[in-house]
Formats: sequence, C-alpha cells, structure tokens
Amino acid sequence: MREKKYQAEQRRLTVNRLRHKLRKFELVPTAGEAVPSGFEAIDACLSPHHGLLRGGLHEICAAKTGDFASAAGFGAHLAAQFADGNAVVSGQTRQSVGEHGRPYALALPTVGLIRQQLIHINGADLPDLLWATEEALGCPAVGCVVLMSLEQAPDFTASRRLSMACRAVGRPLVLVLGAEAGQASTAATTRWQISAAPHNSWQVRLQRLRGSFKRPPPMAGWQVFPWRETLPVSDDTVSDNTTPESVSVHATAAYGS
Amino acid sequence: MPQSTPHVPPQVPVLPALDTAPTGRRIVAIWFPHWLSEIVMPAEKRDAPFVLAEHQRGTQRLAAVNIAAEACGLYTGMALADARALVPDMHIEMLDPAWGVAALDKCARWLRRYTPWVGADTHPDSHGLLLDISGCAHLFGGERRMLDDMRARFNRRGITCCIAVADTIGSAWALAHYGPDSLIIAPSGHGADAVMDLPPGALRLPEDACDLCRRLGLDSVAALAAFPRTSLTRRFGPYPVMRLEQALGQAGEMLNPCVPAPEFIVRENLAQGITQLDVIASLTQNMCATLAAKLFAAGQGATRLDLVLTRADNEMQALSVRLAAPSAEADHLARLLATRLERMSRGFDAGCGVETLCLAASATADVITPQAPLTLGHKAFKAPPVAVLASLFDRLAGRLGPQVVVRPVVHASHIPEHAVGYRPVHAAPLSGEADDAGLSTATAPEPQTRPLFMLCAPEPIEVIAEIPEGAPYRFRWRRVLHEVARAQGPERISPEWWPSARRHNSLTRDYFRVEDRNGCRFWIYRDGLYGRETGRVRWFMHGVFP
Repeated sequence: MREKKYQAEQRRLTVNRLRHKLRKFELVPTAGEAVPSGFEAIDACLSPHHGLLRGGLHEICAAKTGDFASAAGFGAHLAAQFADGNAVVSGQTRQSVGEHGRPYALALPTVGLIRQQLIHINGADLPDLLWATEEALGCPAVGCVVLMSLEQAPDFTASRRLSMACRAVGRPLVLVLGAEAGQASTAATTRWQISAAPHNSWQVRLQRLRGSFKRPPPMAGWQVFPWRETLPVSDDTVSDNTTPESVSVHATAAYGS
Repeated sequence: MPQSTPHVPPQVPVLPALDTAPTGRRIVAIWFPHWLSEIVMPAEKRDAPFVLAEHQRGTQRLAAVNIAAEACGLYTGMALADARALVPDMHIEMLDPAWGVAALDKCARWLRRYTPWVGADTHPDSHGLLLDISGCAHLFGGERRMLDDMRARFNRRGITCCIAVADTIGSAWALAHYGPDSLIIAPSGHGADAVMDLPPGALRLPEDACDLCRRLGLDSVAALAAFPRTSLTRRFGPYPVMRLEQALGQAGEMLNPCVPAPEFIVRENLAQGITQLDVIASLTQNMCATLAAKLFAAGQGATRLDLVLTRADNEMQALSVRLAAPSAEADHLARLLATRLERMSRGFDAGCGVETLCLAASATADVITPQAPLTLGHKAFKAPPVAVLASLFDRLAGRLGPQVVVRPVVHASHIPEHAVGYRPVHAAPLSGEADDAGLSTATAPEPQTRPLFMLCAPEPIEVIAEIPEGAPYRFRWRRVLHEVARAQGPERISPEWWPSARRHNSLTRDYFRVEDRNGCRFWIYRDGLYGRETGRVRWFMHGVFP
C-alpha cells in the first residue's frame, strides 16, 4: 500500500519534471521575454504574457502577390518593437530588390524605425543571407534581424536552425516571405499572414502560435489601422509612434470561427 | 697618349634600340636644381642671395645656392669665406642633410597623384625624382598638359624644376639635367636621338669617367655611342657602357618605387613549402596574434590587412581585408582572414607549396578605448556598441562583399531618388549621425508621404485618367490592371535647376498616392506638366507603400 503510494508519488514527480522540460522545448515566453506587438487587440490574444517571444522566429507572409510590401511593413513594425532602439539588420534577396527596390530611408519612421538603426544587406543569395542572419543574431548590438525573401523560403532544416539560434541568443528573427515562398513549412514560432486592406490598413491573420497555453482561435484575424491619418511623425517622435496608445486598432473582428 | 685619337669608323654596327613601342613605357625625370635652398628659404625672400653651408674637409663650403646667389657668382662647393667676400650681405644657413631627403620623400608621395609609380633618383648630388607615367598621361589630357600642370604646381610653391619625359630612365634623366629647355618631351620611340647631342655627363657617369671623356675629346653622347662597345668597355670599364646602353634603350633599367613600408608586419618563412590551406590558416592565426600584440603595444588598430602568400616558384597570391573600425583583436583579425582564405580555397593553387607568408597591417588608426561610464548616482548611459557592430560589419562585408552591406544616408535633394542613398558600412560613419548636415527637418518630407519600398528605377505604366492633369482612373503595371479606388495628390516636385549638369529627365513631376480596390498602395507620378512642358504625359510607378 505504502509502496503503491510511493510509486504514484514518483510518477507524479517524473511527469512534472517532464512537463517542465517540455515547457522549455515549447517556445513559451516568460514575462521578461514577451514583447508587445504594438496592437492591443492582437496582444490580448497572445497568452500568457500578451506579447511575442523575443527569442523566436516570426514568419510573416504575404497573402497575395501584391501584398509583399504590406507584409514587409508589418514585419518592420514588429522589428521596431523588438529592437527598441538597437540596430536592426535587414537582408533582402536579389530577387526582392529587383521586384520592389530597397527600403526608402525617409519612410522608415512610418513603421517605427529610424534610418540610423538600419543596416541593410542589399541583395544576396538566400544561403548567404541565412549565414548573415545567423552572424547578425550572434551580435549583441543587434536588436532584431529581418530577412526578406520573395520567392524562396528557407527549408525546414534551415528555419529550425535559425529558430534555435534565436532561442539560444534571445534575439528575434522576422522572416518576411512573398506569397509564393509562404507556402513552404518552416519552424516558425508564430506565423502571420498579411494582406493589404482598403483605407490604409492591413488584414492580419495569426496562423500559428507555438507554445501558447491558450491556443488562439483558428484563423484569428484582425483589420489593423497602423496609422492615424494625421499622425505627426518625425525622427524625434519615433519612439512615441510605436507605443500602443498612438497605434490604433480600429476594428477587431475575428475572421472565421 | 695621342695614340688614342678618336677615330670614328664609318660602319659601326649600332645596336637597334629595344622596341619600346609595344610596352609604351614613358618615364618622367624631374630635377630640382635649387632644391635645398628653395625648400629651406621662405618664398617671399627668394630675391635675396641665400646659401646653405656645410662642413667639408675642415672648411665651411657652400652646399646649395639659390638663383639670386648664383647670379652673384656663387656656386656649390665654393668656400664660405670666399663667398662672404664676394657677397657680404647674403643670408647663410647651416645645412642639415636630413632636410633634403625628407622633403624629397614628401614630394614623391605628393607626386603619386600623377602615377602610382614614383621612384627616387639614385644619382648622388642630384635632387630629383623619376615617375613611370605609362598609361597615366591620358588621364590628365596628354603628356604636355600633365607636365605643364606639374611644373605650374611646383612653380607656384616657388620650386624650380626641370622636367623631361622619354622612353627610358637614362634619356629622361639626361634631358632633364642637360636638356636645352626646362620641359622636354622626347617623342615616343625616338628618345635616343634627343640625347645624342648632350655631353657625356648626361649619362650619369662618375666624375672620373667624365674627365676621361673630356681628355679624349668625346664631347657628346653621339661620339661615345659611335664607338664599338668592346673598346669602350676596355677603356672605361663596364659601368659607363651600361649607362650608355640604358640611355639608348638597349639595356633595361628598373625604377624602384618608394612605397612607404608598412610599419606593422609579420613574416613567416617556412622551411618547407606547405600546400594545405588549413595549415596556412592556422599559421595565419598565430601571425595575427603577433601582429595584434604589435598593434596593441603601439595603441593602434588595423583598418586594412594584407596577406601575401609566396610560393616556392615566386608566384604570389595576395588577399586584403578592410575593417570598419580599427581593431587590434587577434581573434577578430584571424576570423576575417579565415573567411577570406576559405573563399580563396576554390581558386587556390598551392603549386609547389607556399614558402613565405607575410601579413601586414597596411593601414592603421588609433584605437580609442571607450571609457567605462561613471555611474555615481546617475543612470548608466547606454553607449552605442561601436566595436561590436564593427566586427559584425567586417564579417558580413568579408563574405558578402563590401558593396552589399550598406547603411542608408540622406542627401539634401528634393528629387526622391536622390534624397536617399545607401553607402557601404565601411564608408559610412559608424555613429551614423554626422551624415545629414545638409538636410534640415523643415525640408524633409512627411514620412507617410513616402513609400516604404522605392523601385530601383521608375517603371513606365499605362494610365487612364479622366483629365490629363488629374489623378489616374486605372493603370496597368507589370501586366496587372489596377482599378484606383482612392487617390491622394498631387505632390508637385519641380526639377532642381541648381545642379550644373542638367539631370537626365528634368521635368516637373506630380506624385499621387493611389490605392487600388484590393488595398494595395502605390506611389506613381506623371512626368511633365501637360500642355506646358510636354504634350504627351507619361506615367511612372516609383514605389509601393506598406
């Protein structure tokens, strides 16, 4: 009888220990690691600490061919949240440079970045960019890395490697993919689908949220108005621009479910 | 003895001049006849007689005289006491032999604006420089213009110079020192003809050989050249004959460029040639440690590294690495070189083995060690971690290429594509602050009015607009038709009239921000004002908004 009790106790302890280990494997942010996305309605959905995991790979894909710029805008906005004034390394594949050109420095404040933050890798092959991403993730002065690829996504192994690198150093990678590249499966912590919506807004869908205690409703979606029409933005007020107060979520409507 | 009368045989087999045309070598010789006096004397006192004196064989003798003193009858080598008797009120200064050499070295560096190949004149008692200008003259509009420019710049500094250009070092030197004019251009391929009339001293002969020529009645180069070489050699020895042949282009002569030797250099000579690149890499790592220690001791950091691998058959392979910020960290330097060696491995041919490795920090700068922040009662200031970022830049630029890793810079221009540029991280200041002095916040456009992505070049689009001056109604870009749902504009940007060279398309642009029915936003513009600047307006896509 006593032995049985002892065994049960042991089993419970083992299960607890394994659970603890699992939690480590699962990418659940602790309070210090959660970074708010900048949109209140979205943050409300991100349990338990209402933020995105700092040491994670966040994948943002365009819904349609024409939505790459919107996806990149959302990605840059997240990067600004993560970087918090530190340097942002952005990399662009050659194809993407040919298709959309390069980020325009004078427009960076609209997504909450200032150009002094930006270090840009202007057109390289994807393998080179992946290498550069890993190097940049290892640099303590870098706040966030953004990787933009239009037609080619890193394969699962590569993304798993990057995801683990992010986890190890506690720095985020924002992977912006075009509609064609977005079909591939990657080991991302979160996956967002962005499409441009009328009236200067984005349609945001959260397609995957790994390691969340409370799963988001399937196909959680929002229509996000990142800018008020008359929002004074200059280099000095950039940091204000990215705070949740000044970024309004105009309407919160769940698509599907 | 009279038996050696200069008897010129009529048919002497004259060696044909080496064919200089294919190589096209052109040498400039510059001679500064009053170098010492002119560099020591301030320019405004040039008119007064001025001499430099030095101790020579127990007496004080004149080492250099300026033009005014020369006109009074003073000459180099004259006893100072005699000179004083002739010109009592002259200005005298004692000579420091280091002056002339140092100034000449400085001058040689300056002359590298004309050609990278500048060498010192090896002749004693002559202050001069030699320049190999092969393939450089056209950059200055031809030899005449180049030399005129050179002479004008020297004259402006009050320095007298005699300049000559010819196919060989010997003939150029001869024309500069003994030529009839202070600027002589010997036509290519005929340099030997120009020196024929000059005295034998023009061949850079030692004093005793010149004396012998004089005694033999050989008063010109032509007279010397007419002799068979064997008899000349018998009488003068091999050296004057070599000089003669060098002047005539029948023997080669090298010009040694005076390149400043790198101060921080590590050399590794191996007993046996090595062929494995990984061994080279590990050797390089050790050398980096030595180099870094040298740099650190001097308070310097390398901004450029050069590694030269010399094979046993004297083939050399070089690679160089640039750094964003001066660094004296052995690990960092080694890692950069390892990246480059790894990349080189594809085209590397060790041949019979690398015997010598030479690692030099060819450009260095002071390392500024940041002071630790003082935290007494204050919140610690978060300084930008320049060194950390710099090492990242070096690694990225080392593999991806220096032109690929860039930072945005802003220029004072209204034309959107000229207002923003990208500069390689090695060229841009690391702090990123001091680069937008020309841009005031008043003229900077509102960020919302600019697209997040700007196309590399504006792309023409087909537009249907209701009126020529109005916003588009629908447009086709890259074969996709977009129905415009909303449009904002126009924002009129006039061409900049102040740049001297008119830009390629200098028409007024009217920019519109348009949103299509899907919500995609574009930045398009109409090139030219309808009816005023152009009869047929053209539309362009210039960027996409997020």
